[in-house]
Amino acid sequence: MPRLSTVIIGAGHSGLAMSRALAGRGIDHLVLERGQVGNSWRTERWDSLRLLTPNWMNGLPGLPYAGADPDGFPPAATLVREFESCAAVNGAPLRTETRVLSLTWDAGYQVRTDQGTLSSASIVGATGACALPNIPAFAGDLPAGIARISPITYRRPDDLPLGGVLVAGASASGLQIARELALAGRRTILAVGSHLRLPRRYRGADILTWMHRAGVFDTPYDQVDDIERVRRTPSLPLMGSDTHETLDLNALQDLGVEIVGRLAAIAEGKAQFSGSLANFCASADLKMNRLLDAVDRRIEADGLQVPDAERSAPTRVPDAPRLTLDLARSGIGTLVWATGYRPDHHWLHLPVFDRKGRIRHDGGMIGDGLYVMGLPYLRSRHSTHIAGATADAEALAGHLAERLPRRHAA
Amino acid sequence: MNVENALKTARNGVNTEALMGARAALAETPAAGQFTWRAECDWVHGTHSRSTVQGFFGLGAEQSHTRAFTVEADHPPQFAAADNAATPVEIVLSALASCLTAGVAAVAQHRGIQLRSVKASVEGDMDIAGILGVDAGVRNGFSAIRVSFDVDADATRDEIAALVAQSQKRSAVFDIVTNPSNVKVTVA
Repeated sequence: MPRLSTVIIGAGHSGLAMSRALAGRGIDHLVLERGQVGNSWRTERWDSLRLLTPNWMNGLPGLPYAGADPDGFPPAATLVREFESCAAVNGAPLRTETRVLSLTWDAGYQVRTDQGTLSSASIVGATGACALPNIPAFAGDLPAGIARISPITYRRPDDLPLGGVLVAGASASGLQIARELALAGRRTILAVGSHLRLPRRYRGADILTWMHRAGVFDTPYDQVDDIERVRRTPSLPLMGSDTHETLDLNALQDLGVEIVGRLAAIAEGKAQFSGSLANFCASADLKMNRLLDAVDRRIEADGLQVPDAERSAPTRVPDAPRLTLDLARSGIGTLVWATGYRPDHHWLHLPVFDRKGRIRHDGGMIGDGLYVMGLPYLRSRHSTHIAGATADAEALAGHLAERLPRRHAA
Repeated sequence: MNVENALKTARNGVNTEALMGARAALAETPAAGQFTWRAECDWVHGTHSRSTVQGFFGLGAEQSHTRAFTVEADHPPQFAAADNAATPVEIVLSALASCLTAGVAAVAQHRGIQLRSVKASVEGDMDIAGILGVDAGVRNGFSAIRVSFDVDADATRDEIAALVAQSQKRSAVFDIVTNPSNVKVTVA
């Protein structure tokens, strides 16, 4: 059986970044991909999706953005083409259409795939943080006859059965899908739990430009107060559009979306919503203003000549948000579970998980030549961004190279 | 943030070091976090009752308060009752205010904010057509609850608002009143 130094599982931005970092160190490896390069961006995204990070934040390893619109937001299809160019430019040793079935240890890592088994001294898991929807246990209580989908299976409004839509979850995916459904004329109800709020533009620049400048993405994972908490933080509540519009609960209510509390339970055909909506909205407003205060301080410290601060109005919370919704009687045809994502590591047959089924790792290092990439706040908040994979890959490849068993003397 | 907190020591009488220690210990032994709270209620006369609390389960073993406490409940003359004590719904409002107030003190301590005074005023609206069975469309419980905090502390208005917001996020009674729970009542 051929023995490789490293097998990388997944050819997304993380896997391609690691491939380039290993190639630069002369480490032989293969990149296994269940489909084609950038598979989840090809097959698990809705039609209209554009990245919420501007082009300058989406540079791929060896292929930094060189176009004319660094502040634009690319559609998913553009990103897929970039992935293909990146793999070609770097000559990544790819094995596409090769699905990993299991990873075990037997005098080396044994990677069993639907195309045969490989043996390797080290492994980099790069199968993505958003492989599966995180759906609450009570989802089974949803009455028959109501379609249930997630942002991974949602494609376009017309695909949904006739009728209204209940969207559970107000992070980026839930907000964007609720907006698209409302614009398509659907009655849309958005269930809102703990969430964040950001303006798209602030004081003449994109909010992400300011967040970079204020250093909020830079704290290394081993210097964070409560890493578990920050790793649970959802993606930033933004959307990418030509008009750089802000996506928040006020904007959605202007489009006719009804906001209600967190979806807490489904009983006897009725959705039950938490009475905590006002507090979650107040918390989101407070956090937003704290961040903007930090941006203002940075602008002042740097002596920048930029437009004056304009703060968003507080989130409008209905006086008495709905607490229950009879799904069938209200004509709800679909429930969208936009309640977060989790990785799919079912192929990893090794004792590396904590009691909640999450991989235990130290900045991506699991131990014994096993690595994971692409998880939220893997090494810093940059780890969540596409361009952040390059630095993570360099750090982990350096660690991997040092510990690689010496090859037989040539 | 840690450095800042270490430099700012507030004296609110909450032992947050012990609470943070418990939080760290629970990450190691999550089973210790399973608690069961209990109360026993004896009917006295009319709508007057007396509940007693003392024992509870937690930290993997049977535990006890330092002594037994009693909570009495009754109804006012407007309900043709003897008014020996607060109504159960007022006790619920008191429990909500107590829980949120304890949370404000604990979060303030953790954030190094010195409190001078904290007063929570709670109101719950209720249409008694529900409990009297007059109108099946009216629920028995509160149609709305309002809590207003008046906090005097060494902090900005936004910092105080953040204390009150965080207190709600970590409050057991706030969760109990804002989310459904399965309740099973049996006869021995």
